[in-house]
Amino acid sequence: MSDARGMALACREVDFSYEEARAPIPALRGLTFEVGSGQSLALLGASGSGKSTLLQVIKGLDPPEAGDVLLDGSPAGAAGYAELRRQVGLVFQTPELQLFAASAREDVAFGPRRLGWPEADVAAAVDEALELVGLPPDRFGGRHPYALSGGEQRRLALAGVLAMRPRLLLLDEPFVSLDPATRRELAKILSRLRADGVTLVLATHDVDLAWALCDQLLVLDAGRAAAAGPWDFGESGRELLAASRLREPFLVELWRRLGRDPSAAPRTAAAAAVALR
Amino acid sequence: MTSPSAGPSDPGAASVDAPQAPEPRAPLLDVRGLSYRYPGAQVEALAGLDLAVSSGEFVAVVGANGSGKSTLARLLGGLERPAGATLALACGHDLLTEDGRMAARRDVGVLFQNPENQLVAECVEDDVAFGLENLAWAPEAIGARVDEMLERFWLTELRRREPHLLSGGQKQRTALAGVLAVPRRVLVLDEPTAMLDPAGRSEVLEAVRGLRAGGLAVVYVTQEMDEVVGADRVVALEAGAVVYAGSVGGLFGDGDLLRRLGLGLPVAGELALELAAAGRFLSPLPLTLEELLAVLGEQT
Amino acid sequence: MRPAIAQYYPGESVIHRLDARAKFVAVTALTIALFVRDSFAGLAVFAAAGVVAYVLSGVPAAWFWRAFRPLLWLVGLTFLAQVLFAPGEPFFSFWIFHFSWAGLEFAAFLSLRLLVLVLIGSVLTLTTPPLALTDGLAWLGRPLRRLHVPTDELALMVTIALRFIPTLLVELDQIMRAQRARGADFGSGGPLKRARALVPVLTPLFVLSFRRADELALAMEARCYRPGVVRTRLHPLEAGAADAVLLVLTVAVIVAGLLV
Repeated sequence: MSDARGMALACREVDFSYEEARAPIPALRGLTFEVGSGQSLALLGASGSGKSTLLQVIKGLDPPEAGDVLLDGSPAGAAGYAELRRQVGLVFQTPELQLFAASAREDVAFGPRRLGWPEADVAAAVDEALELVGLPPDRFGGRHPYALSGGEQRRLALAGVLAMRPRLLLLDEPFVSLDPATRRELAKILSRLRADGVTLVLATHDVDLAWALCDQLLVLDAGRAAAAGPWDFGESGRELLAASRLREPFLVELWRRLGRDPSAAPRTAAAAAVALR
Repeated sequence: MTSPSAGPSDPGAASVDAPQAPEPRAPLLDVRGLSYRYPGAQVEALAGLDLAVSSGEFVAVVGANGSGKSTLARLLGGLERPAGATLALACGHDLLTEDGRMAARRDVGVLFQNPENQLVAECVEDDVAFGLENLAWAPEAIGARVDEMLERFWLTELRRREPHLLSGGQKQRTALAGVLAVPRRVLVLDEPTAMLDPAGRSEVLEAVRGLRAGGLAVVYVTQEMDEVVGADRVVALEAGAVVYAGSVGGLFGDGDLLRRLGLGLPVAGELALELAAAGRFLSPLPLTLEELLAVLGEQT
Repeated sequence: MRPAIAQYYPGESVIHRLDARAKFVAVTALTIALFVRDSFAGLAVFAAAGVVAYVLSGVPAAWFWRAFRPLLWLVGLTFLAQVLFAPGEPFFSFWIFHFSWAGLEFAAFLSLRLLVLVLIGSVLTLTTPPLALTDGLAWLGRPLRRLHVPTDELALMVTIALRFIPTLLVELDQIMRAQRARGADFGSGGPLKRARALVPVLTPLFVLSFRRADELALAMEARCYRPGVVRTRLHPLEAGAADAVLLVLTVAVIVAGLLV
């Protein structure tokens, strides 16, 4: 067990198939990649390429058919693996679907309670999580989840996962259907988590947000890894992105067109403005 | 975010069969002082809103969450009863009367945000037919019109497909085909791409771009500025009232207003706003890489 | 996947092309006739009719099997209950259970009758699209409108409910997975514990459905739907000579089954 704030993740030759009408549909094939402790990985790929499947396999909702998912270097079955798995948080697509309790506090408390924490710890974790997502407990704690706006519900669902203090946070398209203001809020929250040292895996189709938040990428194509590792803006890197119908991040292309080094491109518009002032 | 295409494309499809407009100049939508309050709400959703839209116009309506955009869309479609208005005419029907609203539902089509919750039937072609069945059209006429709509929105091969097997973009195109199967004079779209992935988004945007022929007036409600680019006019709402009504370029030039409204700008636009905050003004506001490079180039 | 019992198998067979109303009337009449008399011979007549209809429909055996499978336990239970508890001279007794030939015979008859019922019913559901069936039922129920029963609206409600079943199943799965990811446990514990564990799944599903109903109603109104107004159809029901033939044949089968 590691002391680091962020968990290290590695997948080795992971295979997974769905059983559909007696014909197995391969969803992940020979997937191999790593994310070091505290690093952040962008999981890119078209709809149906296997992003959601991969996240659910990492979380342990479905066991892989072959290969290993190593958390902090330990494979499934090793001593303490179950405990490590509890430290992996998964935020599903449209997570507002999971809200069910009578108050925001109660809903966020669900996860920590299921972990068996004493009530005092649960209360502290809940308040901390609500603060982190920008829903101060004194104003939002008692409110009914369904009375919140769409953006607030999204953040509340995120708080429900963060309350369990995950060391590895998996997010499945967290920005979809969000209004622009909440999108920006959410990006800030994820930045804060990164700064805290939490390991992030972010499945998204927004290349610019991926660039802003992640130092590594994994591109999936029909369940296979088409690219894995740090962002590569050389010839082969660009070809790979193009083959998956992904464009380069805007700021990277801008830097390139301005005659500057694309790999030195800033991550955010604010940083770019400073550089171009 | 996808960048807007070079210009409106017209796939050469048939016109939307809009019946003759009574007078060339009378606006199809004419509301003044429109107000609405949700039951039990303390604040008015719409507070004295004025809007006029003429035949063939493409008007974008922007504003943050809670500004009243969706409420406006529903009222224009005759789907809610206004709390009050000095004038509320949709295609000549008085929205303040029950009969007027029922009649408005026929001339004004509304496409909503959630593709799933607009499809009622077991398969695509039955869903597209739904509106015409409600209007008691003869089966042969329904069949012909459905074929036309399926063709127009690239759904012919999917005609017997069940809704849960469609992608988000396909569902929304089906919903759009169903709304327009009834010949309309105005189409209101309420954030039609908000719940779609980039592929679905570009499908729907392309379908909407093809609508501009035929005299149909379009009111396009959105929070994403790059969807506003081709509009003839843009109206910005805040707290249920209009705070800007004018050209798209004019809105793009008002950095303070854009920031206040919290709208979704493509990265180029955000960069331009950040630069403006740092004292370097880029005008007109660039929304694409090319526009940004052009403006930066001009300034050096 | 929709439950197999209601599953429609698309096709162009003579059975598929029959009017939904005629098929429904035939099936109802046969069902009632099946219960009038307890006779193996009669049952054989009805069974033969069902098999002929199945063969004509062209639906693969696998699909019929899927309709039968869930009911096999019911058939088995019926059989067992009759065998063990029916009156008659026992030829073998064990504890409180008495096996008699009469009981065995009766049990066999009941089980076979159930199977024939499922066979005939399946021919209907496998060859008739749900929309046509609900339209047909709405038409047949037209007289009820005089009693202020909203038959057309009910038919539409059924159609919409069927349309959303696959969607709801997907959403149910999503919600269950999301809650499992938060540590919910649906598998362990006694019945009370398991029921409580479903609250985090059923509550969101309910809320989702209410919101859906609101939005759907609005979308329907935006397409000029008004309850009570007569609607036409893209695919109207058209009865023809074949349907008359079906009804005549049904009467013949019933007469034969009751007289044989």
